[in-house]
Amino acid sequence: MIEFKNVSYSYNVVDADGNAVDKGGVSNINLNIADGEFVVLTGGSGCGKTTITRMINGLIPHYYKGTMSGTVKIDGKDISERPIYETAKNVGSVFQNPRSQFFNVNTTDEIAFASENQRREPVDIKMSISETASSMAIERLLNRNIFELSGGEKQIVACAGINVLSPDVIVLDEPSSNLDFYAIERLKEILQNWKAQGKTVIVAEHRLFFLRELADKLLIMQNGEIVQELDKEKISTISSAETEKLGIRPLRLDDLKAEFQHREQSDITITLENFCFTYSDGEHGIDIPELEVPSKSVIAVIGHNGAGKSTLARNICGLEKRFKGVMRYGKKTLKNKDRLHNCYMIMQDVNHQLFTESVKDEAVLSITDKSLSEEEKEKKALDILSQLDLNEYADIHPMALSGGQKQRTAIASGLASEKEVMIFDEPTSGLDLSHMKQVSDELIKLRKLGKTVFVVTHDLELILSCCDRVVRLEKGTVMENYDICENNISKLKAFFGKEAM
Amino acid sequence: MEIGVCSNKNGAFIKLDPRSKLLLLITISIIMIGARTVEVEGVLRLICAAIPLVLLLSIREYKASFIYLLLLGSALICEKHIAPYTHGICNIVLMMICGLITRFVAGYMMGWYTVKSTSVSEFITAMERMHCPSFISIPMSVMFRYFPTLSEEYKSINDAKRMRELGHPFSQPLTYIEYILVPLMMSTVRIADELSAASLSKGLSAGEKRTHICEVSIRPLDVFAITGTMVMFVLFLVY
Amino acid sequence: MEKKFEIKDLITVGVFSALYSIVMFAVACLGFIPILMVFMPLLCPLVAAIPLMLYFSKIKHFGMITITGTLIGILMFIIGHPYPILIFCIGAGLLTEVVLKMGNYQSIKHCVAASAVFSLWFLGMVIAFFFSFRDAYFASILDGYGQEYVDAMKSYTPTWVFFAMIIMCLVGGTVGGLLGAKVLKKHFRKAGMA
Repeated sequence: MIEFKNVSYSYNVVDADGNAVDKGGVSNINLNIADGEFVVLTGGSGCGKTTITRMINGLIPHYYKGTMSGTVKIDGKDISERPIYETAKNVGSVFQNPRSQFFNVNTTDEIAFASENQRREPVDIKMSISETASSMAIERLLNRNIFELSGGEKQIVACAGINVLSPDVIVLDEPSSNLDFYAIERLKEILQNWKAQGKTVIVAEHRLFFLRELADKLLIMQNGEIVQELDKEKISTISSAETEKLGIRPLRLDDLKAEFQHREQSDITITLENFCFTYSDGEHGIDIPELEVPSKSVIAVIGHNGAGKSTLARNICGLEKRFKGVMRYGKKTLKNKDRLHNCYMIMQDVNHQLFTESVKDEAVLSITDKSLSEEEKEKKALDILSQLDLNEYADIHPMALSGGQKQRTAIASGLASEKEVMIFDEPTSGLDLSHMKQVSDELIKLRKLGKTVFVVTHDLELILSCCDRVVRLEKGTVMENYDICENNISKLKAFFGKEAM
Repeated sequence: MEIGVCSNKNGAFIKLDPRSKLLLLITISIIMIGARTVEVEGVLRLICAAIPLVLLLSIREYKASFIYLLLLGSALICEKHIAPYTHGICNIVLMMICGLITRFVAGYMMGWYTVKSTSVSEFITAMERMHCPSFISIPMSVMFRYFPTLSEEYKSINDAKRMRELGHPFSQPLTYIEYILVPLMMSTVRIADELSAASLSKGLSAGEKRTHICEVSIRPLDVFAITGTMVMFVLFLVY
Repeated sequence: MEKKFEIKDLITVGVFSALYSIVMFAVACLGFIPILMVFMPLLCPLVAAIPLMLYFSKIKHFGMITITGTLIGILMFIIGHPYPILIFCIGAGLLTEVVLKMGNYQSIKHCVAASAVFSLWFLGMVIAFFFSFRDAYFASILDGYGQEYVDAMKSYTPTWVFFAMIIMCLVGGTVGGLLGAKVLKKHFRKAGMA
């Protein structure tokens, strides 16, 4: 039994001027979660759902600094009075970012880690590991280098660690944000298992469709408060139109509609020729003799993990030096080096591509036109920023912005460099409904500006709301290449599994 | 930089405890630097030079063993048969290089062996068996874990930099360094935060002891290695 | 003493020690260009001091920088550097601790001084070419080449080079520290991350 009684919390952070300010958090939460209940928390970014998960695993108040009032109790014990390693015995956690949630490099060590911290006997732990490995069918993931695994496999390793520890309560903070549909399917099985074992499961998520059959309760949060509660029956019947009204991502994918209003086609085509590339491990790579797509459109690149999507994206950008393929854009033939000049990728982690000390500088830096004076450059940069609603942040450090604003800053620098082709790598991973829509609007805007946009994505909602063309990869080759129109919708949905049909 | 991720070095016919490896490392570096080339000390040097070779062969690092032999062999030949025929600065440089090789390569090769044959968890477990406090062993594991992360981060930052055609290492070295270091430092701060949160929620704590599924134990071979180094040490001090 | 460290501190120590040593290695790779080799004691601390300054800004406890020194010492030792490196690393860590402590872990000036002091561990890598270690080397070649030869060799590697290296380290550490302070102000304060 988890009880929240009149809980309010705000984070103490330091702003850019060095002043302490209170930010975000939750207010006035009263919530009871019964043993064995499966609760889903959702709502826009910054709504406070992550804060709730942190209060259950004890990171608040023991790790994050802030002001808290009210009490959180698990089985009658006050979280704030228990040391966090005691709480860790009963509460297991899975986090959003697989890159930073692992303490070990070796998978088996990581699976054992939480149990080792509870000082369980090594023999005992090893037994549990082999049991877990066979019940989850993950023997091949044991004793591996974590850095060689895909995002989905990493998340499964995190879940295996929880299985070995076997706590009563499990909290997951956006576990699906880096996963493809296969991996989400796996995650769903694991969650199903936990539910069957009678564990209390709390999931904070944006993508909800895989939780429809599991959730006993769905809590929608806004500005730190729980504004609506859906019960099991409502969850299983609610339509996409209704969830959209509630401002959350759909609980079902089968009734999603595509929007067909913006589909005038350009007659110039882009042809990728001889796009063949193998990584030094000899396994992964792409083998695309020829691929033709229309320019000035939004092209979704889909496929499962390891299908070669990111390899294709990297090669379109000209990032692999020993790559021989060329891109024909109308009459131009672009080799590796030329593509570096003409293509621009918005990476999944945009933090890596922001270098300067203000949003404006970020755009100015990308203006390579030498004929412009400094003032002209600045003016042009400000123009671009206003197109993307960034003018009010022009003098702010990019790292002080929110995720979506950072992404737009990166887009701004792409626009400033006047490159023709823009590539987005999973632009909507971990985004709520309104931010997803914002990204989709931005992609449409880029198309109207005459850019050709490739989007590598697992997000069916995004594809349906803004893409014109789908390229499906499998094992490094192009399986399908079609326009999105009434006739092809079922083909697209079929890829996204039985949930979407 | 991938420091021994998996502990199952299949087919290694010599398996040493990390503690013996550390002892060997220190003995080799002391004797190779300090010992003379004749009499008993000459023999000790020879043994110390041979140990890394045998160990490298035992984990099938043929390439490294070959390079080691080649370096050592050519340095010895050069020292004995080529250098005496040269004069002046050339002679000095040759002698310096040969001197460096004969004295330090054995140590580096032993280091290479240690790194290649030990997994991080074995190393940490062994450190804790030696009563190394958790305020050393925890940062140590984090450090080893963070090396591969850093290399991933660096790769994406470098890609981003190339796509924007920024910073040339020679014409603008400071900007170049800034564009690489600042994003790396930002990532480091962020990952330190997230990793701390994740570790805490998995029950890691600074004061409490933990158990280890990884097994390290002193086996007969280790006893042999340890007594052997002791004897060599005593001999070295006596002579 | 153990109780005083929180997990957050220990993990900060771990990641920043990793970052510091990687930067060090990366710059040291430039040392393969022969002319630059001589300036390594200047260049390595200069660049590595930039992340070091960020690290200093995160240090709130006694002992963290000493642990970093120890970790770097152990790392250098297990990859095969001769044993004096351990003594130098731990020593430099302790000295830096004292400097930081004097500035109460806050003063920027002390941080810059601390970054100069910390870079002295670098000397542990070259100490084996000097002093008693050098004498042992010469003693070992004495058997084959005779006293005259040894005297000639000695004159080419005078001890003052070692002191010049100390100065290079200190200068590199100071300049790097100042650069680091600038970077902190330019990026991290503005981003609310320091």
